[in-house]
Amino acid sequence: MKKALYTVYIFTRLSTRRFFRDRLAIFFGILFPLIFLFVFGSISGGNGAPTYNVAVINQSDSAFSKTFVKELGKSDVLNIKDGINTVSDANDQMGKGQLDATIILPKNFGDVSSKGYPTGQAKVSFTQNNEQAGRGLGTALEGQFAQMNQKFTKVDPPLTVSTQQTNQKSLTAFDYTFAGLLGFAIIGMGIFGPINVFPELKKQGILRRLHTTPLKVWQYFLSTMLSQAIIGMVSLAVMFIVAMLVFHLKVVGNYLEIAIFIIFGIISILGIGLAIGGWAKNERQAAPLSNIVVFPMMFLSGTFFPRYLMPDWLQHVSALLPLTPIIDGIRLLTTQGMHFVNILPQIGLTAAWTVVIYVIAFRVFRWE
Amino acid sequence: MSKNILVVKNLRKVYDDVAVVNGISFEVGKGEIFGILGPNGAGKTTTLEMIETMRPIDGGTITVDGIDVAKHPDAVKRVIGVQPQAPAFQDKTKLKELIELFAAAYGEKVDYQEFLDDVQLGEKKDAYAESLSGGQRQRLSIAAALVHSPKVFFMDEPTTGLDPQARRNLWELTQHIRDKGVTVVMTTHYMDEAELLCDRVAIMDKGEIIALDTPKNLIKALLKRGFKKAQHVEQADLEDVFIDLTGKALRD
Repeated sequence: MKKALYTVYIFTRLSTRRFFRDRLAIFFGILFPLIFLFVFGSISGGNGAPTYNVAVINQSDSAFSKTFVKELGKSDVLNIKDGINTVSDANDQMGKGQLDATIILPKNFGDVSSKGYPTGQAKVSFTQNNEQAGRGLGTALEGQFAQMNQKFTKVDPPLTVSTQQTNQKSLTAFDYTFAGLLGFAIIGMGIFGPINVFPELKKQGILRRLHTTPLKVWQYFLSTMLSQAIIGMVSLAVMFIVAMLVFHLKVVGNYLEIAIFIIFGIISILGIGLAIGGWAKNERQAAPLSNIVVFPMMFLSGTFFPRYLMPDWLQHVSALLPLTPIIDGIRLLTTQGMHFVNILPQIGLTAAWTVVIYVIAFRVFRWE
Repeated sequence: MSKNILVVKNLRKVYDDVAVVNGISFEVGKGEIFGILGPNGAGKTTTLEMIETMRPIDGGTITVDGIDVAKHPDAVKRVIGVQPQAPAFQDKTKLKELIELFAAAYGEKVDYQEFLDDVQLGEKKDAYAESLSGGQRQRLSIAAALVHSPKVFFMDEPTTGLDPQARRNLWELTQHIRDKGVTVVMTTHYMDEAELLCDRVAIMDKGEIIALDTPKNLIKALLKRGFKKAQHVEQADLEDVFIDLTGKALRD
């Protein structure tokens, strides 16, 4: 056993070294995901005039409140989300970062008072991360109310705004983008790596030559896994550093848990690459199959755009893809400060996929 | 146990109903250099690959050093060294690392310098394999195949594509390996090579062995049948001229 592990150690060491000697591999393994990080980070970081995603919850029956809601819809600062009718729904969505704030018109808002004009207090509720949005929105509403108030009365402004911060933390668009980009980097290394390398090794007879030695498939796979895990940690660490420095990513989770989970994810996805590359006799077999496997994950697992933008049925389907729990898990650990105990569903699904993938990979592996 | 280190009996390999290897038998003694000759498609490589545990055996038996190939392929792998027809190595890996790698495949740790020196590549230990010439690559391949001190060494057309200097160098290397007590089994298309190197040769055609003897005896038998060369044989040929003019020293 000691000898068998020495074999794994030497193979791991050499294939890791090879990666860092290969400029093309470094480009695709490290720089390429970084380029994506800059592109998508800049998009989701967003600049230009602020617009707010808000929900309007009207609890009042007054005619005034209905007109008021209509008027709010015409604003180009506000992007009002439909279908959110309760405060708890709104809080839920704000927690996910899909809403910046909620405007609540309480029950008697707009009721005509004894003085003959409508009164009431609109509430703007927002999360910790959206303090700016909340205050901005409050000020904007205050401005509007001030105008209306002047029409109704010159003293004792009947309509005022109170803003209120909830205790929740919410995710920014970049938090989603970043976890997705890590997923993209994992696919790049875990799948595109082996499917390019293996057919070439087979074509030249290098794997076949190794097969004349007592080397076992598990030794070969294990050394590939370990070296990919090392390379992956370097690549993703660079992405984390850039995201923190340039895009102000706030990592609130435990770094050890994040690292362990990422390694787990890399190994899981690498199995797909090992299965396809190990099975394919040449590039012509490897390329179409890898596209069939990779593209759905690339677009449906939340790599480039968040899954919550998809229709419900698609969210249910895409939740089961191998990459989805990895991306979700990374996001939950990194930016929502969760721990392993909180992401057991993600860990379980990833583990299940890993078993399935590796059983297939071992079965279909060919040395030539 | 037979004193012969390699025993092949009624070996068969069938592809698509065609017997590529059709019931051949031969034995190779310890310390022999044994040649398998034959035109392309004769079944030489398939035969070697079955002995090397790389192809399933469809019929017959092979034992290497008393070990049944079909039953204990892993044990056989530990006593054989294999030189493939066109040796290739993973890129971005230094020669010394490749020797380390192949030794590690057997779970062994070796002194790479000794193995590289043996094939005159000691000075190139830090070079990448992709920078080597054809002859150097063949020599590296031989070094890599000997890291675990095999008892039988298989070479598949080792000199194809090499210049006359590199060929001669490889012949010397082959004899050197045999002198260390390793049995050598090789295939070749070059009759001069077989005549010079091989203690005995088997000539294969269409999956069968049609002659098996020492090169001398085979030539004698042919002459006995009244064979005469159409061309008068000179005391030297063009290759002798080439080597005389360019020398025996390796060029790579």
